[in-house]
Amino acid sequence: MQLASKIYQAESIGDVQELYHANGWTDGLPIVPPTEDAVRACLDWAMMPPDQLIGIEPVRGLAITAEKLAINTVMAGCLPMHFPVVITAWTAMMQDEFLMHGATASTGGCAVLVVLNGPIRLEIGASGTFNALGNSDRATATIGRAIRLCLINLMDVRPGVIDRSTLGHPGKFSYCIAEDEEDSSWKTLAEQRGIERAASAVTVMAAGAPRQIMNEWTTRPEEILETFAAEMRANLRHYSIHPGNYAIVIPKQLREHLQAANWSKTDIAEFIHQRARIHRREWAEVGKGAVVRDRGDSVYPAMDSADQLLVIAAGGPAGGFGAVIPPWLGNKSHAVTLPIGACVDCEPPKK
Amino acid sequence: MTFRVLDPTAGEPPATGQRAPRLDTLQGKTVGLISNGKEGTKSFFAHLETMLREEYGVANVVSRTKSNYSAPADPHIVAEIGQWDAVISGIGD
Repeated sequence: MQLASKIYQAESIGDVQELYHANGWTDGLPIVPPTEDAVRACLDWAMMPPDQLIGIEPVRGLAITAEKLAINTVMAGCLPMHFPVVITAWTAMMQDEFLMHGATASTGGCAVLVVLNGPIRLEIGASGTFNALGNSDRATATIGRAIRLCLINLMDVRPGVIDRSTLGHPGKFSYCIAEDEEDSSWKTLAEQRGIERAASAVTVMAAGAPRQIMNEWTTRPEEILETFAAEMRANLRHYSIHPGNYAIVIPKQLREHLQAANWSKTDIAEFIHQRARIHRREWAEVGKGAVVRDRGDSVYPAMDSADQLLVIAAGGPAGGFGAVIPPWLGNKSHAVTLPIGACVDCEPPKK
Repeated sequence: MTFRVLDPTAGEPPATGQRAPRLDTLQGKTVGLISNGKEGTKSFFAHLETMLREEYGVANVVSRTKSNYSAPADPHIVAEIGQWDAVISGIGD
């Protein structure tokens, strides 16, 4: 089947870059030229014809096809083996509960956090250890970038156009991590959210920037988790009081103390759900007294329930650090987890 | 070396409808205001309502607020629009 996209000719790699930058088709960084061969390699890997409909964007009714996702995936520097992750992430983002238009247009300036689970992490070399939230490896770097380029080019989520972010954050270039399943006795994030461990899965969350914590001075689970809860209370005070999906990332050093004490992810989430809450009157201490009104005694938890906390095992082996990743804006967007390769109506590509 | 590269954009979104005919006058009309509900909209729309009534002779102003300022207007609000002569939708922060 022919590709439907318009073809442009450029005489050099430099001309390709200028073509894409001049048209506003990039994130400001150079792109890999999306040639027909490269795009077809992605589609073949996923066994999808170019016009395979991945979904309809819910607000403006935009048809998202495999061909367009593949073009942007190539541009991001992905290999064909990364493409199924991009497809699954986008399928998840188009679920109503994710509220993709609102989350990507908002002045709040969140990014789409993508978390990988299951065997595909090992197949594509996605690392959940050193520098997990930074430039840890090729797979997570390029997959996260592909998500953003697709938003830019398929939904006009360009700064000042659909993207009205006041500040944004660096995760808007790429925000993808793999869970360190090999070095953890816990259930995986996807398992906690109903996916079998043997399946590969993608979780997406409309997420603020990570807030790093440190506590190297205790081995007690309650004290370690109190530091995470305190950072969430800070977010409730300084950013938004609305409850929703928070994520916490627990690297190996702190994880080992929790696992030695037989604390499961569920135990962690239940403890933090009890501790991560503030009184509305606390807003008066941080310059927001005007909105306390007569509700100062009201209690505001960070999550409506413990299962709204996404507990992720990732990070390098040394250092008593952790991270809290807050939601864009409470329950307006919900995290979505989908298994990879769950397509039920795919056809082999027609040559 | 010549590169043949592909357009990464989705193209034009599907048409979502046509604009209603423009009104000749606002005199005696019913105008709906759809707010996203943020703090900054309150005084803005209150002043706009005063202007519409006092300066333009609008007969009725119907004010509605979305339940979620980050999502499209609620279906019951969209259903009401057909009863109005004009609608003003705005966001505020």
